Amino acid sequence: MRASTLLSEIAAVLAKELTSELRSRVALNAIGLFGLTTLIAVAYQIGPYQIQEGDRPHLLSALLWIILFFAATSGLSRVFVKEEDAHTAKTLRLAARPLAVLGGKYLFNLMLLIGLYALIVPLYCALMGYAVRGVAGLLLVLLAGAVALSATTTIVAAIIARASGSTTLFAILSVPLVLPLLVMLIQGTRAAAASSELAAVLPALQGIVSLGGAVMIVSVYLFPAVWHD
Amino acid sequence: MREVTVEFQKVGKRFASRTALAAVTGELRPGRVLVVAGPNGAGKSTLLNILAGVLRPSRGEVTHRDGDAPVPRPHWFEHLGVAAPDMAVYEELTALENLRLFARLRGRRRPDGDLAALLVELGLASREHSRPVGTYSSGMKQRVKLAQAVLHEPAVLLLDEPSSNLDGAGHEAVAGLVARFRPRAAVAVATNDPREMAWGDARIDLAL
Repeated sequence: MRASTLLSEIAAVLAKELTSELRSRVALNAIGLFGLTTLIAVAYQIGPYQIQEGDRPHLLSALLWIILFFAATSGLSRVFVKEEDAHTAKTLRLAARPLAVLGGKYLFNLMLLIGLYALIVPLYCALMGYAVRGVAGLLLVLLAGAVALSATTTIVAAIIARASGSTTLFAILSVPLVLPLLVMLIQGTRAAAASSELAAVLPALQGIVSLGGAVMIVSVYLFPAVWHD
Repeated sequence: MREVTVEFQKVGKRFASRTALAAVTGELRPGRVLVVAGPNGAGKSTLLNILAGVLRPSRGEVTHRDGDAPVPRPHWFEHLGVAAPDMAVYEELTALENLRLFARLRGRRRPDGDLAALLVELGLASREHSRPVGTYSSGMKQRVKLAQAVLHEPAVLLLDEPSSNLDGAGHEAVAGLVARFRPRAAVAVATNDPREMAWGDARIDLAL
């Protein structure tokens, strides 16, 4: 009988990921650099005054998620490939339950995403003059987006790691999962910017939570096969 | 410790059109060291990977039994300790942090003193325990790898070239480890080193 609970094993994988990342800073540097560079380029070229008032909610919401998504992808997609590259995947495979690995890696990606949001979103709002009326709604959309996007990138990253780390495969597998998610995130952000009512973001929020939940449930069943075979 | 045996019947592996391992039959049981020998490319590591459940055989069958009860494949890792050249521990973590991690993943709460004693038994001096593994020599990394393989007192120990990168003292440490596990665990050693072959009670010679 194993004395530990799944939760303590997930916590062990998460702690390992955080310690390794804080010492190597590979994902942090990739995400931070990509996010800031893209944000500054967009702010410099477009800025708050190049977009007409009527187009602002649509364009600024879409631009924000383009920056967040591509910055996140640059770091999150490597969460399993780095184990294969460092030859630690087999060691981990022979020591941990698949769900402990999935849970730890998922939470690590979630924390990276929330960190990215905390860095980029306030700067974006300031530099682009993006006035958000429904701050609570925006926070809810961001949180649901982080939960769903982390789930998606984590399982896709696990699949591509077993396919020799093909980034082309990452793109191919991501599109059908990420595209509807991004569309709903942009809609939810736009609704939060336009209205202070929480009800305005609810339709998008329901879609994001549903898709994220579905990906999570599929991941729990799919991951052990991906991880071991 | 549980009495776990591993039986393998006519186990073979093909990668595309290449045969990596021909039909091999044998058994691992407590109190016995099985040596798997053969030239490079004969399939020693492939056989150990199949016994560990990391690879599925193209033919044949592997059964792990806890007493008389077959153990389902997803649970094999719980009683296994494995060290192999294609495995590594985390270079950003120290030796002690690595062992703490693998102990927690295996549901063992072992005090740091026990983990440090295991590293010392394998020849890694105490002053080295708090340095990141990435700064170690290949021999020192091998000692940490061996420590993670045995820290949970596995019932089945699979060692692939366990003395690779080790000096004479390291080889002696591994010999001591095998001697310590021999009475209570089923041990398999894949090797071409005559000194390691001498540990075996039984031997499988693989051919190209």
